[in-house]
Amino acid sequence: MTTAAVTLPTVHGVRLSRHLRQVVIALAALLLLAWTVFPFFWILLTSLKNPGDILAVPPTFTFSPTLDNYAALVMGEQRGQYSSTRPDFPLFFLNSIIVSLGSVALSVIAGIPAAYALARFSFPFKNGLGFVLMSFRFVPFIAFVIPLYLLYQRLGLYNTHAGLIFAYQLITLPFTIWMLRSFFQEIPIEIQEAAKIDGCSWLGVLTRVILPLSMPGIAVTVILGFMFCWNAFNYPLMLAGRQTFPVTVGAIQFISYEQVLWGQMAAATIVAALPQLVLSLMVQKYIVRGLTMGAVK
Amino acid sequence: MLPYLLLAPALILLLGMVYPFGLGLYYSFTSYWLQYPNRFRFVWLDNYISLVEEPLFARALEFTLGFTLAAVVIQVGLGLAVALFLHARIRGRGAIRALMLMPLMMPPVITALMWKIMMASTTAGILNYLLSFLGIGPVNWFGSTEGAVVSVLIIDTWGNLPFVALILLGGLQALPSEPYEAALVDGAGPLATLRYVTLPLLSPFIVLVVLFRAMDSLRIFDVIYATTLGGPNDATTNLHIMAYQYSFQWYQMGKGMAQAIVLLLLVVTVSYLLMRLWNRAAESTV
Repeated sequence: MTTAAVTLPTVHGVRLSRHLRQVVIALAALLLLAWTVFPFFWILLTSLKNPGDILAVPPTFTFSPTLDNYAALVMGEQRGQYSSTRPDFPLFFLNSIIVSLGSVALSVIAGIPAAYALARFSFPFKNGLGFVLMSFRFVPFIAFVIPLYLLYQRLGLYNTHAGLIFAYQLITLPFTIWMLRSFFQEIPIEIQEAAKIDGCSWLGVLTRVILPLSMPGIAVTVILGFMFCWNAFNYPLMLAGRQTFPVTVGAIQFISYEQVLWGQMAAATIVAALPQLVLSLMVQKYIVRGLTMGAVK
Repeated sequence: MLPYLLLAPALILLLGMVYPFGLGLYYSFTSYWLQYPNRFRFVWLDNYISLVEEPLFARALEFTLGFTLAAVVIQVGLGLAVALFLHARIRGRGAIRALMLMPLMMPPVITALMWKIMMASTTAGILNYLLSFLGIGPVNWFGSTEGAVVSVLIIDTWGNLPFVALILLGGLQALPSEPYEAALVDGAGPLATLRYVTLPLLSPFIVLVVLFRAMDSLRIFDVIYATTLGGPNDATTNLHIMAYQYSFQWYQMGKGMAQAIVLLLLVVTVSYLLMRLWNRAAESTV
């Protein structure tokens, strides 16, 4: 490869340099694709292997596929001689759905009026409030999780869905308010003024103008909020127990003192990743906007 | 009055979060052992002082800052290259762009587990197998101090490179075309155009991704927890992992909380400096 590049008269031979350019571009594109996709491909392969094939030296691309790892996930218990770890993955999956949906619902209910106020009214400390909301995005989680853990132990919220839903508000509420505010602000103020002239109160403006017009934006916010909850790991790691673990905490349960269950862990990562892959296709135009809380559109 | 009424539900929820934080701030000035509630007492700044005197603290601070610097430089540098590459209307750009979204929204801990499988240190690990074709001998990814640091960097970069690249690509696509025409008339080559037209115009976007990536790298937790847990020999222990160890492994809640506050102050300082830089960059390119 290197010798070929050196001997090619790239500067003088126009045709050769154009070919070389195309080859370099194709190689770069291929490299980028491989870097992005190969880990998914390899984990999918690993999840379809039996333990013998996983530990094969050198790693093998050809093997007789098995669904044993997925079966073990669905059965909610591992096979084999070690019984100290019994991750109940279907329960973890259900927990992820319950907690993520609950958190997003609470955030949207509280967030719609707040975002409306921030988008359409002016009042003292408005910018300060917006800044406080934004700053939650950057707080190290441990600063919240230590006191929450101690409080939850006393209040009986430890290892409950409600406790997790409340803690997840740190993730979803500031995000929801900022996103909805940026969508509400995109609605021309003239429409709102016209509705007011027609006799609509602020509530009428909200329910008959703002909400119907920003439905797509609300849907995007709900989906992205759900995905951020699905990704949450450190809050449930400390605030949940075996009955309320979500998939992210569930997936590391396949690492125990005795062994790492590579195959089942691979299957678990595929199952945990699947909703994210499907949902990110649905909202692909808005992901960057969501990750920067509306700072980049 | 009305705006406050509208804000009330959200403010109540927010207050519910600020209250535990305030409680935690108070705990950071107390000796609070979870197993020995009787020993609870107010100790002023003792936690902070003993923390700074801890030999591990200096190392964790160094790793936190070093990791952040390395992650930001690598990810923004590579991300800029990818963005420029995709901006050049190459064939299959749409497909590559869509595929790059896949790592972006993965749970970081799941990303870490995927790489943990690929980074098995034996020759059964696919990454070592692939590297062997390049003549790179089996790397002890998580078992050696250098290997562990490099592993965490690689995993974090895989998950976040698309974020940087997509924001910068969006920035490139929003740039006005007039400066480029002027540069063309002046006979500027591609490198000069990049240096004197593209980068200055792109600077608000660059500062923005640096801000987001720096904030997230300073408090990276999930990837380290799932792969090295701060090891080996504390080589990948950052301030966040150290705070976790104090509070949830040794149950010294006061000391853990003090550590969390120190990390928070660090994050606030860095974000303040970067915000100022952002304002300046945004002003200069109006």
